[in-house]
Amino acid sequence: MLRYSIIFFTTLSLVITLFFSSHCQGETGEKYKRSVKNYEVPDVTLINQEGAKVRLKSFLNSGKPVLVDFVFTTCTTICPVLSIGFSEFQKKLGPENAMVQLVSISIDPEHDTPKRMKEYLRRYDAKPGWDFLTGRKEDIDKVLKALDAYTPDKMSHLPLILLRSRSDNRWVRIYGLIGTRDLLREYQGVLP
Amino acid sequence: MKRFFQKASRDCGTILLPGILSLLLVFLLNDASATEDTLPLSVAGVSRQEALRLGERMYREGILPSGEPMLAVVQGDIPVDSRIFACVSCHQRSGMGSFEGTVFSPPVNGARLYKPWSKISDLSDSARKKLPRWMQTANFRPAYTDETLAVALRAGENPTGRKFKGVMPRYFLNDSDTEIMVFYLKNLSAESAPGVTATTMRLATVIAGDVSPEDREAMLAPLQFFVTTWGRSRSMELRARKTDDPMYTGYRKLILSVWELKGPPESWLRQLEEYYKKDPVFALLGGIAAGDWAPIHKFSEEHKIPTIFPVTDFPVTSETDWYTLYFSKGFHQEGEATAKYLRRAEISEGTSIVQVFRNNRAGLALSKGFQDTWRGFGQRPPENMMLDQESAVTENFLKELTVNRKNTVLLLWLDDKDLPAIGNLTQGQNGPRMVFVSSSLMGQGLYSLPEKVRSFVYITYPYRLPQEDKGFRAIVEAWLRNNKIPASNLTIESQMYDLVAVLSEPLSMLKSDFYRDYLLEQIDMMEDQSANIALYPHLSFGPGQRYASKGCYIVQLTEGARAKLVKRSEWVIH
Repeated sequence: MLRYSIIFFTTLSLVITLFFSSHCQGETGEKYKRSVKNYEVPDVTLINQEGAKVRLKSFLNSGKPVLVDFVFTTCTTICPVLSIGFSEFQKKLGPENAMVQLVSISIDPEHDTPKRMKEYLRRYDAKPGWDFLTGRKEDIDKVLKALDAYTPDKMSHLPLILLRSRSDNRWVRIYGLIGTRDLLREYQGVLP
Repeated sequence: MKRFFQKASRDCGTILLPGILSLLLVFLLNDASATEDTLPLSVAGVSRQEALRLGERMYREGILPSGEPMLAVVQGDIPVDSRIFACVSCHQRSGMGSFEGTVFSPPVNGARLYKPWSKISDLSDSARKKLPRWMQTANFRPAYTDETLAVALRAGENPTGRKFKGVMPRYFLNDSDTEIMVFYLKNLSAESAPGVTATTMRLATVIAGDVSPEDREAMLAPLQFFVTTWGRSRSMELRARKTDDPMYTGYRKLILSVWELKGPPESWLRQLEEYYKKDPVFALLGGIAAGDWAPIHKFSEEHKIPTIFPVTDFPVTSETDWYTLYFSKGFHQEGEATAKYLRRAEISEGTSIVQVFRNNRAGLALSKGFQDTWRGFGQRPPENMMLDQESAVTENFLKELTVNRKNTVLLLWLDDKDLPAIGNLTQGQNGPRMVFVSSSLMGQGLYSLPEKVRSFVYITYPYRLPQEDKGFRAIVEAWLRNNKIPASNLTIESQMYDLVAVLSEPLSMLKSDFYRDYLLEQIDMMEDQSANIALYPHLSFGPGQRYASKGCYIVQLTEGARAKLVKRSEWVIH
């Protein structure tokens, strides 16, 4: 019985994944993969760029639309592109910017101290509403695993943005580096 | 993925054993003779030297010769100021590129750009023909010329007309900026670094000042073992002669010079220069000094020579220096951890913090580590009591520190001979609220800390706790025994064990690209280590990160005769 239900649920989840995920040809010609996933954010306490403790679950459930990415301050390729993307996204949104919460979660928490994260945000001209979180490695790993963003080695991390409009578990997962126009379009697409 | 390409190239090389003798060498020889003849006298109206300087600034800092930021577009529509996303970010200092996540940034150094290239790089033509067809053609491009390289930088396409991915910025460069950039790339990692010949790589280790014979042996013997057994020398050497597979042609027999520095530290730099002039080396490994590591650090920076894992408690602490990779920040890190712990302990506003330390290297490093970090948190600086090297610390002296102060936290950066005085402290109205000491200064004496003070004495401990380290110590001991390396100081030998564990892969990954920056980049890209290393719970790496062990526990001693250390903090405190 158990075996059948495992097979059933595996097939079901495969069908759902196939149904919801799609390859998108971005307006700028770059391809990215979009899917809709159910993720439960773990209730861990992280530290932001000011050194203040942040309870991740309630922080993400503030009611604002949220965009999450996973970066580290000494990262060479993917993170600068993701971060320039966030920076440009904030600029393009203009005044609406205050209505959206951007969250970068460090995947190198041992090195990324609040001081380094603050400096990183400054470099990318981050406006209020973009926070950078670090914390205990075990807690960060828990978050990465829950959001299907975990890789054992930080150098093989993923170009990933998770997007959610309401405080539920339904996330739009954008896999691949994405231009600002496409990101704005995806953002507007999740708004109620 | 990176491994996949290496594996592919290794497999293909084996198929092709009786192949042509090293096309690679032919290319290298051609390159060397060509550069001299074709060097222009000036580039874009400036001297060659100036062009290289300006080109380096564009490449590393994203600043144009005019002083303006280099502007570009990524991902089709995101404008970038290259000061935050310069070429170096992906293609690295050496120009050898990187592979991160899903993004492959190919090499852009002179030696590679001006040769035909494909993702299955480094293979001879005949080896490539043995691959499946789809792999033979994947991303293959002919050699760049100055003209096609200029097109690549500005329009983002290679000589075959293939467009680069959106992650490669399209730069807005005028003709003379482009000329300078092309000239810089042509000369970037164009030749092997000094210290490497067709068959050998020379390395050195520094022994500076009056180091005890035991410590010297503990550092040197494991290193000599590593060097003599590197790649099981003999069999690798024989293979290297027979094949054109870059896994083997890149093999170099390692030679280790021992650079002994005598006399005062002020003369060390000069002595290093003399050694280097006589016998240039590719890199410095390990090393040990009775004193600050600063002179050797400076030598390393000035000559751009990597120094990997010197044994020192007194490294240079810098966020920007490049060429020395340390195990940790030493004593400084223990002071830092104390500040971070106290910040999280939420001590009340009116708390007085008093640091007591002697005027010696350890005392100064600990107190500076604390003070700099504490002030960085916007806190009032602690009161510092610096004692003479010889002066004794009495019970009364310590007791007076807390009289007339409220809620005192004492940071006693003292050593084991001061334990009796510390052991007589009492909490209470006029006593300290918390006391911090350093395990590195106290040594084994720590375990004789009287029971009555254990509840309020906190200890900085920058290694794995003894109860968690047993198995790892046994592994290091077995390693020494099995390889007939005499054991004299297990802490230093454990560090050397870690050096070998960390360095082996990056060194072999160089293959035939003997550029010093590339060695550091290979280490930067390494996975974090914990299961394979001794002494430290965790070593982590990343571009430009130069202190591999980032943590330090704050612990306390349990009561009873067989006291144990118990953690009061995480390994890394934020």
